[in-house]
Order: sequence, then C-alpha cells, then structure tokens
Amino acid sequence: MPQHWFWWTATAACVVWYSTITIYVAIKGAKDIKNMLARLDAQSRKDKELEDS
Amino acid sequence: MTNFNWLLDGSIVGVYLLLTMIAGLMVRKYVGKVEHFLVAGREMDVYLGIASLAATEFGIVTCMYTAQNGYEKGFAGATPGILMAIAMAAVGLTGFVIKPLRDSGVITIPELLQQRFGPRVRWAAGVVIVLGGLLNMGVFLRTGGQFLVLVAGLDVRYLEIMMTVLLVGVAVYTILGGMLSVLVTDFLQFVVMSIGLILVTILILMNVGWERLVTTVETHYGAGGFNPFVNPTMGWQYVLFNLMLNTAAVLTWQTIIARVLAAKDTKTGRRVYTRTSFFFVCRFLIPGIWGIAALATLGPVPDTLEAMPRFLSTAVPAGLMGILIAAMLAADMSTDSSYMLTWCSVIYNDILAPLRKQPWSERKGLFWNRTIIALIGVFLLLYGLWYPLKGDLWTYLGVTGTIYLASISVLLIACCYWKQANSWGAVASIVVSAAIPISYLVMEQVPSTAALAKSIGPYYSGIATYLLSGAAMILGSVLKPQARSREGVA
Repeated sequence: MPQHWFWWTATAACVVWYSTITIYVAIKGAKDIKNMLARLDAQSRKDKELEDS
Repeated sequence: MTNFNWLLDGSIVGVYLLLTMIAGLMVRKYVGKVEHFLVAGREMDVYLGIASLAATEFGIVTCMYTAQNGYEKGFAGATPGILMAIAMAAVGLTGFVIKPLRDSGVITIPELLQQRFGPRVRWAAGVVIVLGGLLNMGVFLRTGGQFLVLVAGLDVRYLEIMMTVLLVGVAVYTILGGMLSVLVTDFLQFVVMSIGLILVTILILMNVGWERLVTTVETHYGAGGFNPFVNPTMGWQYVLFNLMLNTAAVLTWQTIIARVLAAKDTKTGRRVYTRTSFFFVCRFLIPGIWGIAALATLGPVPDTLEAMPRFLSTAVPAGLMGILIAAMLAADMSTDSSYMLTWCSVIYNDILAPLRKQPWSERKGLFWNRTIIALIGVFLLLYGLWYPLKGDLWTYLGVTGTIYLASISVLLIACCYWKQANSWGAVASIVVSAAIPISYLVMEQVPSTAALAKSIGPYYSGIATYLLSGAAMILGSVLKPQARSREGVA
C-alpha cells in the first residue's frame, strides 16, 4: 500500500466508480428514459380522451 | 500552443453538440403542462436521477474550482467533496427533510414553507433562493468560457462570443423542453462527461505518475497538503464551514432537491441520494488530481484558476482533446440548463404566484416559464461579463450560496421537525442569513473595508451566518409565539 493510503484508496475508488457506474447507469438510465416517455405519452392520450369526451 | 486539432477534435465536439440538441428538442412534444415542464410530470426513475444529478452538479465551473483547490491545497482540497458525500449518504439513508418534502407533493421548497410560515415567508424565501442562486450561477459562464478558450488555444478575445454561444445553445432546448429536455440531455451528458473524465485521469496517472503527484504536494504544502486541519489556509474553520455548507446544500440546494421532487416517489428520491453520494468525492478528487498534475508540470503560475486548463491544453493529445472538450461542454450544458430551469421554477412558482389573482392556464404558465428562462439567460450574460471575481472560486460560490442555504436549511428543518417554529423566526432567519454574506461580499469589493473582510475571512463569516441564522429562528419563534393556525407538515 503506498504512502498516503487514504488518498490513494480514494483516487482508486473514484477511477473504479467512474469506469463501472457509468456503464451501468448508461444502460439502466436509457431504460428509465424509455419508460418515462411511454408513461407521459399514455398520460397525455388519457388527458386528451377526457377532454374529447 | 495546444494539441487541439480542428478537424479531428472539432468533429468530435460538433457531433456531440448536434446529438445533444436533437435529443433535447425531440422530447419537447411531451411538454403539455407546467408540471411536465418543471418536474417532468414526476416520472423520473432512479438511474435517470443519478445520471441527471451527477451531470448537473458537475460543470466546467466545478472542474475549475476543484482543480484550483487541488493546485492550491493539494489532496486536502478534496475535503468538501468528502463532507458532501457523507451528508448526501446520511440524508438519503435517513430521509431527513427530503422525505417530508417529497411526501408533501410540492414543486419548490418555498411552497412547503408556506404551509407552516404563510405566503409572505414563501415569497421572501423565493426571493432569497433566486438571489443566492443567480449570484452563484453568475460566474459559471465566464469560467466555462475561460476553460474552453484556454484548452482549445483560442484568442481570449473570443471568450465573450464563446460564452454567448454556449448559453444560447443551452437556452434553446431548456426553453422548449423544460425538465424533460434537461433530464434527457443530462443523461447523454453524464455518459460523455464520464468517458472524458476517466480517460484524462488515467492519462494523467500514467504520464505524471502517483509518486510525482504525492511528492509535488509534499514539497509545496507538506502535511497540510494531505490533512485539512494542519493546512494553514484551511484549518478547523474551513472544515466546519464546508460541513455546514454541504449539509445545507444537500438539504436545500434547489437543483439537487429538484431531483427529489421530480422522482416518481419518495423511496426513489432517497435512493438517488444514497447512490449518487460517492460521486461527490469524485467530483472534487478527480479535477483536484488534474490541478496537482498542473502544479507538478507547470510549477507556480500567476492565475491558479487557469493552471489546470493550461496544463491540459498540452498534456492531452489530439483525439482525446475532442473527447475532453465534448465532456466539459456536456458538464457545462447540463449544469446551465438545470440551474436556469430551477431558478425559473422558483420565480414562477413562489415569486410570481402570489401576485396572480387568478390561476393561469397551462398555456400561459408555459409561456411565462419560457420567458423567465430567457430573461435568466440575459442576466447571466450581463452579470458574467462585468463581475470581477476576487479570491478563490469555491469560496465565492460558498459565500453566495450561503445567502440562501443558511436560512432555507434552518427554515426547512424547523418546518419539518419543530412545532414551535413560526413566521417571526422564519423572517428573522432569512434577514440574518442574507445580511451577513451580502455585507461580506460588499466589504470585499469596497477598498476601505477590503482589509477588514480579509481579516475576518470567508470561513468565520460563513460559520457565523449558519449559527446566527439558527439562533434567529429560535429567538424569533420563542420571543413572539403565534397561535398555530396552520397544520405542520411532518
């Protein structure tokens, strides 16, 4: 373990966090966007149907 | 000289900008109501929330001040990031304040404050939030332009043009798509930003080396470069001020809270907090390492804020330079768009709402929200051009942020958990919390009081603001008890 282990560990954790979390969040986040837009679309159709009726 | 290649790097940046604009504009068709515009219809899920929060809270301005912290204070400069991560994780795990806030179903914090303290306090809180937020954001554009001009090796005369182009691009999709555009572009920006940050950091660690970074900090700052408590420019007062500042920011900073309010439920909001917490260590440490690498490579420079971009302009090769600039543009655009939308939501919902005699139609509401965002853009452009920044950037942001963070955090905690709190205490807290930082900023700018401001320093002034703001709430509420006609929210 190098000198100033605290900062070495924190730096290593940051590099690992960014390398791994980015991929995970990118995949899951894309699904979230798809679902969010689908829900909003369904909601606006429902609102429109209510207005028409 | 810079390694920026107009053909290769320029193309990467151009493609990124085009994709962002397309994505931002595509979702505008889903905006039919003010609620869609301001809180994305409250349909945001966890991972989109993490990406959006991380992208919003990392702009070029963040990169600049955290790198400046690394350059001037060594590894100890990352202390605020560690404190913020701890605060964020604690609040996410316990649901402290954010649970009652999200459960109440409000769009902004002042809206909740009205339930306990009445409409006048809501209005005053809205004014303070916007004042602190806009002064804080006022330096974003210039700092962002400064970075881009230096890294791309452009003439400094182009800085204003760069700032204007940046702002107009962001304003267009924010005005049209509101929070929906912000979330979708934030997601893209998070991915691009993360790729750029990680590649540049690995390059620096490989080329400069860990040992050289450590030796540089030891040579320039000794033990103080690793431990904030023994650093002569930091000390316990720096740590305490940053602990207060970051805890208050986690609880009340409207751009952070906007993600809780846009979350589909309280549990999702809390999970976004817990899972994003470690990001705040990265947010300070990664650019901090870039700043230390600049110190190791360039040595002492007259303007420490410019050290990191000057270093990157020659250290990053062509190709990667395009990714870096795209990443930084991504960081900046996501921050600017979210901040403009957030302050707009407070102006619309809390400052203008009490002045309306009858509720506006959705169409009129959307029109005014869009107009407010455009006006905020004009203000930012003008303020960014003439305000001369004194002292380090992080401290300026801390002092301007404190204008509202101190009082609003006190008000919010009291609103949720202290039954005796009343509007007298709330008003006293707002006045105290705005008066101290504004006086400090004015004293700093006036030549006859500049020396006094320097001797007090921003940390003692900041600590006093938080403590006195809390004391004002207690004293005001206890000395002038009111018959409680309104129901509490907790």
